[in-house]
Amino acid sequence: MKIIFRLLLILIASTISLNLFAKEVNVYSYRQPILIDPFFEEFTKLTGIKVNVLHAKKGLLERVLAEGEDTPADLVLTVDIARLNQFVEKDILQPINSDILNMNIPNHLRDSNNKWFALSKRARIVAISKERVSTDSIKRIEDLSDPKWKGKICTRPGSHDYNRSLLASIIAANGEAIAEEWAAGIVANLARKPEGNDRAQAKAIYEGVCDIAVMNTYYFGKMKFNEKNPEQKEWANSIELVFTNQEDRGNHINVAGGGVIKYSKNKDNAIALLEFLTEPKAQVLYSSINYEYPVNPDMQLTDELKSWGEFKEDKLPVEKLAELAPIAQKIIDRVGW
Amino acid sequence: MAIIALVIIAPIFSIFYYAILGDTSLWPHLFSTVLPRYLTNTIILMFGVGGLSLVFGLTTAWIVTRYNFFGKKFFEWMLLLPAAVPAYIIAYTYTDFFEYAGPLQSLLRDIFGWTSSKDYWFPNVRSMGGAILVMSSVLYPYVYLMTRASFITTPISFFQTSSIYGRNSFFNVAIPFGRPGIIAGLALVLMETISDFGTVDYFAIETLTLGVFNVWLGMNSLSGASQISSILFMIVIVLLTLEYLGRRSRKFHEKYSGASYTPTQTVSGVKNSLLFLICLIPLSLGFIIPVSILLNFVIKGYSIINFFEIFQITLSSISLALISSSFIMLLSLLMIIVGAYKSNNFQKILIFFASSGYAFPGTILAVGIVVFVGWLNDLIYFRMSYAVGGFIILLFAYSIRFLAVGNGAITSGISRIHPNLLDASRTMGVSFFKSIRKIILPLLYTNLLVGGILVFVDILKELPITLLLRPFNFETLATYVYQYASDEMLEESAFAALIIVIAGLGPVIFLNRTITKSIKN
Repeated sequence: MKIIFRLLLILIASTISLNLFAKEVNVYSYRQPILIDPFFEEFTKLTGIKVNVLHAKKGLLERVLAEGEDTPADLVLTVDIARLNQFVEKDILQPINSDILNMNIPNHLRDSNNKWFALSKRARIVAISKERVSTDSIKRIEDLSDPKWKGKICTRPGSHDYNRSLLASIIAANGEAIAEEWAAGIVANLARKPEGNDRAQAKAIYEGVCDIAVMNTYYFGKMKFNEKNPEQKEWANSIELVFTNQEDRGNHINVAGGGVIKYSKNKDNAIALLEFLTEPKAQVLYSSINYEYPVNPDMQLTDELKSWGEFKEDKLPVEKLAELAPIAQKIIDRVGW
Repeated sequence: MAIIALVIIAPIFSIFYYAILGDTSLWPHLFSTVLPRYLTNTIILMFGVGGLSLVFGLTTAWIVTRYNFFGKKFFEWMLLLPAAVPAYIIAYTYTDFFEYAGPLQSLLRDIFGWTSSKDYWFPNVRSMGGAILVMSSVLYPYVYLMTRASFITTPISFFQTSSIYGRNSFFNVAIPFGRPGIIAGLALVLMETISDFGTVDYFAIETLTLGVFNVWLGMNSLSGASQISSILFMIVIVLLTLEYLGRRSRKFHEKYSGASYTPTQTVSGVKNSLLFLICLIPLSLGFIIPVSILLNFVIKGYSIINFFEIFQITLSSISLALISSSFIMLLSLLMIIVGAYKSNNFQKILIFFASSGYAFPGTILAVGIVVFVGWLNDLIYFRMSYAVGGFIILLFAYSIRFLAVGNGAITSGISRIHPNLLDASRTMGVSFFKSIRKIILPLLYTNLLVGGILVFVDILKELPITLLLRPFNFETLATYVYQYASDEMLEESAFAALIIVIAGLGPVIFLNRTITKSIKN
């Protein structure tokens, strides 16, 4: 019994240290700790505000809703616009009027009511085999449903956030019926059942399982510079990135972003953290740590990102993607992607 | 007791609440598109994993109980080790090992001079077959452990009778007599199978559980997700009821006290090697191979090793698991004893439902708990945000999730204690509680340990609930491993993953010693 009591004390002590900081901000994060922690360290160094994080992949919205006014959360960070928008729909975020945020983030990358703000952009592109696919043979994302690619394409499951959002952008551009034909076309062209994450698709190209894959650009950077597992450099080396729809609407982008919780008790600190994340100092970290694109229009792309090609992005307000996501999921169910 | 059971059930009901209240407009769409596929896959997976786990668990439990052979001492406890390996970890390691770029296929290509994947056929690990193999090889210990406890205590007289009539002692004595244990183990395996998300997600097997998440997050419909979860729940209830009906008319307790138990046979030569091999297969699949792969990552320096951090995390993981498993076993003990000796039918049904939390996908259960606690917040101003509150919530959540494991272990023990024992003690004028303490508890000791260890390793590797309900800045080994593994960067987390396995070792060895000792006495 005594032991159990002592263990309980250890457990409590392990989390209690956070209360020693007078200035703090509590973050619920769908974004992985390894990607976001360096930002927080920098922020704390700069401002003295301690950042407490709770990371989970699912259910944070439900947790905030249940905690209600008592929630300790000040800020939520997500990696997909649809997730972010769900917080807006449940009316759990508050509008923030900040000149810094308005200046640092273009219109189409923040909520019209200032409840959420994009912090970085991720381009979903087509990766093709350097050896087996000629450079100009794919120009638009719509080209992937062409029967000539039968048995050549690899993707992760359709119902993953990233693919759902891509499909939503196609619905927005071409309408539901054409989007469904496109999705059915992709499924018909698959080389194997959808599995693994984006990185696994690049690997499949390297292995010769398929010639074409759909992926987010940052995976390319992560493979290209992977010192822990150098074999991945070869995967990156076997593919070429194609930014799609450069002559029409532009390449599809999704965002990682955040918003301040309605019941935040450290609102000023939360805003300070959001603002910090849009400033050049932090924006450059998005590129250097995770090869994402900055939202701040004043930012120059890093040399590495520049080397992948500068591109025109789809200017569709990203909240549209969130709105169309349920329709996209139904299409995915129907075509069995 | 009824109140405790009700509190345990409440979050499960909040899932139903969402299910019933929510709109059902999604159903025509689901029925006509994905649901038949989800359901078929779920059933195939359940049959596959259930069947293979039985094969692995029963054969090994029988062999180590019945025979004296070279290696027996090791296999007795080592066969339990796969229980400490999280299924999602094993899925990652196997994919890594068996895929095109992995060591096995590379070796084959070198040997046979193949140059690309088009030159030869190799089974895809990320398939239904792969999922069945992977899950069975870490879940069979439930069957092994529960069954072994039954086998050990099978009275010798039964074997003598069967040999007089020339019957097979395995099929005609051990299996029928061990049925409560076998079923308890199998039920846990099946519940774990249908609630699994990590493995099916990684292997892209479209089961109902995967469907739950597509509907919840993709279609933004928590009510639709709750509805699918409720189907999962129904499947489990039907299974458990069928089993109950089948068992009702039978009795498993022995009539004669003081009889000695399952006799052992000493074997040598070919038979010894054969037995050795049979035991080695599941152990290799569930432990030796995946752990070697992890070890290889660590040795090659791929993994992040921060001793201080890992030490802290290990300490808090073990503390949490130890506290929670002790609490859960106490709760189970209380519940099942009251259920067996002091309950009306209504209470029995409540207790039955209280062990159904194991059948829900962890995250959905966590959401049910969050909703219930939110409601408590409004009612009695219960702040779950504080560190202490956070741990209470975790403890509560684990109890809901893992009570089934504790209850299973205790039930299979109590169903083999003759009711006369308690009655006899009572007629001597000894009070109910004293009788329980003096007569029943000592008989349940092994079962209590078995349940406790299983719950302990289960909590050690538990992911979705811990992830969502933990306090700020709090990591367990499982959540720590997950932050890398979820991005398919298993190499980085290999060291922490190994620690999970090692942390499970101690209790397993301890358990085995105690069981062996209890046989000798």
